[in-house]
Amino acid sequence: MQKKRLLLLAILISTLGGCATMGVQPWEKDVLAKPEMALNEQPLTDALDDHIYFSKEASSGGKSYAGGGCGCN
Amino acid sequence: MALPQRTVSYRSSQGFVTGSFQAMAGPCEVLIETDDMQLARKVCQTAAQEAWRIETTFSRYRKDNVIYKINHALGESIKVDDETAKLIDFADFCYQSSEGMFDISSGILGKLWKFDGSCNIPEESEVKLLLAMVGWHKVQWNKPLLTMPSGMAIDFGGIGKEYAVDSAAMLVKQLTEAPVLINFGGDIYSTKPPDSRPHWAIGIEPIALGGKQQPKIGLRFGAVATSGDSKRYLTDHGKILSHVLDPNTGWPVEHAAASITVMAENCTQAGMLSTIAMLKGKGAERFLQAQQVKHWIQRR
Amino acid sequence: MNKNKIIKTSLASATLALLTQPALSQQDTDSLSSPTNNQTEQTASDYEWKFDAALLFYSESDSRVQAFEPVFMASKQLDEDESISFKLTVDSLTGASPSGAVASNQVQTFTTPSGNADYQVGANVYPLDDSFKDTRVALAANWSFPLAESTQMTVGANASNEYDYFSASVNANISHDFNNNNTTLFAGLSFASDTIDPVGGAPIALSRMQPVGASQAKLDGTQDKDTLDILFGMTQVIDKYSLFQLNYSYSMSDGYHNDPYKVLSVLGADGNYFDDGIATANVLFENRPDKRTKHSLFGRYKRFIDGDVVDVSYRYMTDDWDIDSHTVDLKYRFALNNDSYIQPHVRYYTQTAAEFYQPYLLQAQALPTYASADYRLAEYDAVTVGLEYGWTTQSDQTWRIALEYYAQSPTEPAKFGVLQDQTLLPDWNAVMLRINYSF
Repeated sequence: MQKKRLLLLAILISTLGGCATMGVQPWEKDVLAKPEMALNEQPLTDALDDHIYFSKEASSGGKSYAGGGCGCN
Repeated sequence: MALPQRTVSYRSSQGFVTGSFQAMAGPCEVLIETDDMQLARKVCQTAAQEAWRIETTFSRYRKDNVIYKINHALGESIKVDDETAKLIDFADFCYQSSEGMFDISSGILGKLWKFDGSCNIPEESEVKLLLAMVGWHKVQWNKPLLTMPSGMAIDFGGIGKEYAVDSAAMLVKQLTEAPVLINFGGDIYSTKPPDSRPHWAIGIEPIALGGKQQPKIGLRFGAVATSGDSKRYLTDHGKILSHVLDPNTGWPVEHAAASITVMAENCTQAGMLSTIAMLKGKGAERFLQAQQVKHWIQRR
Repeated sequence: MNKNKIIKTSLASATLALLTQPALSQQDTDSLSSPTNNQTEQTASDYEWKFDAALLFYSESDSRVQAFEPVFMASKQLDEDESISFKLTVDSLTGASPSGAVASNQVQTFTTPSGNADYQVGANVYPLDDSFKDTRVALAANWSFPLAESTQMTVGANASNEYDYFSASVNANISHDFNNNNTTLFAGLSFASDTIDPVGGAPIALSRMQPVGASQAKLDGTQDKDTLDILFGMTQVIDKYSLFQLNYSYSMSDGYHNDPYKVLSVLGADGNYFDDGIATANVLFENRPDKRTKHSLFGRYKRFIDGDVVDVSYRYMTDDWDIDSHTVDLKYRFALNNDSYIQPHVRYYTQTAAEFYQPYLLQAQALPTYASADYRLAEYDAVTVGLEYGWTTQSDQTWRIALEYYAQSPTEPAKFGVLQDQTLLPDWNAVMLRINYSF
């Protein structure tokens, strides 16, 4: 097994880092990983709603495919 | 072996207190963002004590610890304490998940290879002979009993320092909410980003042999660890051999990177991923990409 | 590739086991506690079959449509990034639906779609066609698998069948994570092929409804419609607590778009049905263009607020039938004690009318090429309000119950003569009760 020697130097930079991009590190995703934060948390509910609105309104899709199927009644 | 001086020295600037000390064969430091000197001393002392404790408990150069007991059991079963058992469990996990590349019994190979920049290549037969004494699968581990064939030896060289960082961080977190950066010889953990800065800025030492620009890492939460050492290599007919030994062949891993730095949730994870990546040789980039962790690889 | 198997998640749990050790602290610490690590890990139970079931009761006002819709889904994780799912939906409908004809101060007789029977609609009563009863059965299957590192592919197939309508579709999606898994790009394609076999045949466009016994102007055979959908999407993590999604979708359909059971009333100068000497009400079967192209933009924002979750979305849709619509949807999930929550929901929808929407036709005017009096192609607003309550049992089963109220308020079209005494597009509403169970 290799032994490590000092390689890194922790240094402080007085100037602000230009880290303005969106997003977080993998281990900061504990909140986003919660099931209620998933975008497809309730696939069956979404499908049922989509079908109702598909049958009753002239618009469909957006979130997912508008798809085919019966538009009657 | 004479004990290094176990004292912490302090300096304070720009709202940060830095405590420095020697442990685990390298310089260590603890940075804390506070004006409270008393708190800073308490935090640094706690971290240093933990580093020294782990060094003492698991050093393979001492004759009064569990590692010595295990390595000199001559085939007898040794009952180990809780903490050692957890480290062995973890080492076992690392061995399994790296397909035998990460092996805490491979340390004795180092007897043959002196990575001092010279061209002292050992004989093929010597390597073969020593290889018989390497292989975690030859060890029986029935927690808390460890039974190892006579002649084999284990060490926590590849885990110990990262473990000490995480362990010290856990203790420090219980002491203060203030941002603390723990750096044990290049293995680093941040409890949180400094209040006055967006993140801690970490520099990786550029590699000795004509390295490119020095990479800088912004660390907010979590850890970075680095494997590799630019100054430890051998030359074989002009070819540079890395110091990373493949426990399966006993020979240096081909095309090993000069250094690999990984950012992860804790230091143990980061260290483990960087070590395995190092052992992957050419495949380091692919491996780390698959793990989806931030990483920096320097090649010669 | 085996060599690069993802060990990060198992490593996370291994380090967690290593680092959670109360025996360790012995220095001047104030308390002994293990680190708080809220990571989500793959556990063995993720690789078992997972089942979701839902039941929907849907009931419209004035005895219009009643529906009962059970759904059952089974899904299984095959590997860390591979999963399959199957879904069965049964949709049972009864009741009546507006035929498109206008109400009148006289009793009107209409022939049923089969041409074998007729029914009467009383004076000043909004005409509903109550002869339909239908059960739809739909099956869907999906397979999701990694295509390359950080690239996921999903292929799916759907089939839906009812007595007068069959639809089959296939879809393929590809999604790619990058930027440290903070950004996901998504592209998908779906192709659907529908076959329509109306009861009594598809009426010839704008033909007059004939009395029982007379020859109805119907086409032979089945009708078809193909639909192609293309979807491009992006999901972006903003910070530790929030993310947003942006989708653009394009949908093009070609073929039979008519509702074979919808008609338009032909009115005389007095605003009543024009008497052409046939006893059956003077109505013509509708005709719509055989192509439709839709574009939608969908944006969604989801944020975690101290245990609660706000989920807000907006959709804009426009098509070449001149329909524009806006949809705003807001859900707020209040976390309650012991793994339960209550989630109010508000949705607002508004659309403009299709260019060929006509509440009625005039005898005095030339026939348009396309015309439909379908209330769904008119201009209207709709509001949904709902409340969902969900809880998780100790054995990790999740229940959700939702009650929703949907109300549609159309813009009443221009009227004249005796027609002014009638409501052409009455407001209507529906109540929905949904029960979900995951185990």
